[in-house]
Amino acid sequence: MWQRRAFLKAAGVGFAASLMPQQLMALERNELVFASSVQTKAGGYGAVLMGERGDVITTLALPDRGHDITVSLEAGRGVVFARQPGTFAVVFDPAGKEAPITLTSPEGRHFYGHGVFSPDGRWLYATESDFEAAKGVIGVYDTKAGYQRISEFPTYGTGPHELLLMPDGKTLVIANGGIETHPDYGRTELNLDTMDPSVAFVDRTTGELVGQLRLDAGLHQLSIRHMAVDARSRVWFGCQFRGSASASPQLVGYATMDGEIKLIELPSDTLLDLRNYVGSVAASADGSTIAVSSPEGDLLVAIDAEGKRPVLVETLRNGCGLAPDGTGFVASSGEGELIGIAGSGEARRQFDFSFDNHMLRVG
Amino acid sequence: MRILLALLFAMIAGPAMAQLSTSPGEVMRGAVNNFIRPAMTDFGAKADVLSSAVSQLCTTPSEANLSAVDAAFGDTGTAFGRIEAIRVGPIMDENRAERLLFWPDRKGIALKQVQAILSSKDESATNPATLKDKSVAVQGLTALEFVLYGTGFETLQTADGAFRCRYGSAIAQSVAGVADELVTAWNAEDGIALHLMKPDATFTDFRTPIEAQEELVGILSHGIEAVRDTRLNPFLAKGDVGAKPKLALFWRSGLTVPMIRANVDGLQSLFALSGISGGVPNDKADLPASITAEFSKADAALDLVTDPVDAAVADPAQAQALADVVTATQQLGVLIGEQLSSALGLSVGFSSLDGD
Repeated sequence: MWQRRAFLKAAGVGFAASLMPQQLMALERNELVFASSVQTKAGGYGAVLMGERGDVITTLALPDRGHDITVSLEAGRGVVFARQPGTFAVVFDPAGKEAPITLTSPEGRHFYGHGVFSPDGRWLYATESDFEAAKGVIGVYDTKAGYQRISEFPTYGTGPHELLLMPDGKTLVIANGGIETHPDYGRTELNLDTMDPSVAFVDRTTGELVGQLRLDAGLHQLSIRHMAVDARSRVWFGCQFRGSASASPQLVGYATMDGEIKLIELPSDTLLDLRNYVGSVAASADGSTIAVSSPEGDLLVAIDAEGKRPVLVETLRNGCGLAPDGTGFVASSGEGELIGIAGSGEARRQFDFSFDNHMLRVG
Repeated sequence: MRILLALLFAMIAGPAMAQLSTSPGEVMRGAVNNFIRPAMTDFGAKADVLSSAVSQLCTTPSEANLSAVDAAFGDTGTAFGRIEAIRVGPIMDENRAERLLFWPDRKGIALKQVQAILSSKDESATNPATLKDKSVAVQGLTALEFVLYGTGFETLQTADGAFRCRYGSAIAQSVAGVADELVTAWNAEDGIALHLMKPDATFTDFRTPIEAQEELVGILSHGIEAVRDTRLNPFLAKGDVGAKPKLALFWRSGLTVPMIRANVDGLQSLFALSGISGGVPNDKADLPASITAEFSKADAALDLVTDPVDAAVADPAQAQALADVVTATQQLGVLIGEQLSSALGLSVGFSSLDGD
């Protein structure tokens, strides 16, 4: 379990010394550290590192809207990715000792907002779009060479979104949302009639496809976007439906490296409350509970991974970000609220900025 | 004294203003009955005229009949442009949106497939029943525009264009058929119109008036975003890259700007006729006027674009006017997608404006 001590250790002995007195106090008062992209009330974009008690430890300005953040304690760095179709990613030192580095996606590529480090912190993998070919790629960056992009391999689909590292440390799991976009057309979805979403398992050392799973053909407009891995290494995923509002397919399921893919049956009321949209998925610290959120439906649902049924349904206006704390989850919202659910002891807090879609537990 | 007057004013004006406030249900009835239903009916009628005109052209090829088709195509295109943003209900089923207008078409799929049909004289494309089984790209207005205005269109005035005309006629019938399905669905007593106007807990799509109103604000906000992202930015010059007018929708028929105007006009009408301004609380009372003013700026800028799109982008004044339309759409995106949504207490906010 990553906690403040681990975070401090990873950030280096100089970290605490480098902080302003108020930041140091904030860090000392908090056991857990979270990170999220934000929008300020004035309309500016950034990322914040904050304690579970709500103290903002450090902030990072971004040139445009950020999306997810990934952190490697081994690399001693975090990365904020631009929201798609953005072309920047900012590598930052959580200790604030080193100036941030801004990466720019190469010609013909843009980021999708998600990435992950290798377990040793040496490599950074990011979901990207080869938009002329309408194909997803994983960009590979060498953290020992100034985050130079050294290669890429396919995601075996279009419109990849979140990617995670499987517990084996070797396999990447990629949610290919199936939706084609092109920067010339903003965020317009160009292939709703021919979408082909999938979950792809890819060997990060060779770029080879280990396995690829699709839902039934009748569900081709169900875009698989966000994921979390449970205690049994099952990959739980949340979908966004691009078909008619009068249809309401199931939106949450799981996939395994053994080749199983299944949507679970959420009760009709809960399903309808999700409004055909799951914005993020998280697993509890022990991997026994999965939480999904819908900012469209102002809804948070915690699911027992064994029983495959909801154990808690909570409303949070414009709520989307989810991250495990010690006992449950914290959830954040576009209205600047942070709450604890499903066993978390977090009190409701209000911030003067809007949280973006994802919240990461750093330590 | 001023404070006393202000208090007095608040006591008098408060309840009166509260009575003026429009409920979400009234807004949705306004949207459906004052704009969507009449605009759908108009599109259906225009599509019928087009279908008849193309049929007439095929029976009697002539310059005059081609001219009638030209007028009917423009009327149908712009009538569709006014309702194009209404991406809810029947248009979302059976790929109807793509079957009416396959756009954007970044890879020129429609052009290639239509040219293949024309060169091979594929008879199965001349019957609406079998055309329906083909690619959505060859069934709608994108395909018909090439048939009527693309290379070889002049043969339509003579017997040499018989196949081309029959294919065009099948497309026009297909468009009229889809339009008719939209009209029927929107006018049904128990369909999408009812769900939006009288949401109910038993419906899967709209269960509360707030959810219905979120759909309306989403239509306005995504509609204006689509004008910018699919009708303007793809062909306008940016940085070192020059304008690419042939990436514009309907550049062959000279309908690029009329289609943009129809899109903007439809959204403006939906905003005005729904009466959604009446639901804005008093402390945001300036917002509706700001939105109306921004729509007017877009209109005024479009008025300045008088040439066909290829000439317009080459003329600095008209190119600037098109850039001003982009600016207006950006402003409207913020005013509607963020400020109006927030003022009405809706969840179309920062993290959920569109998929991510």
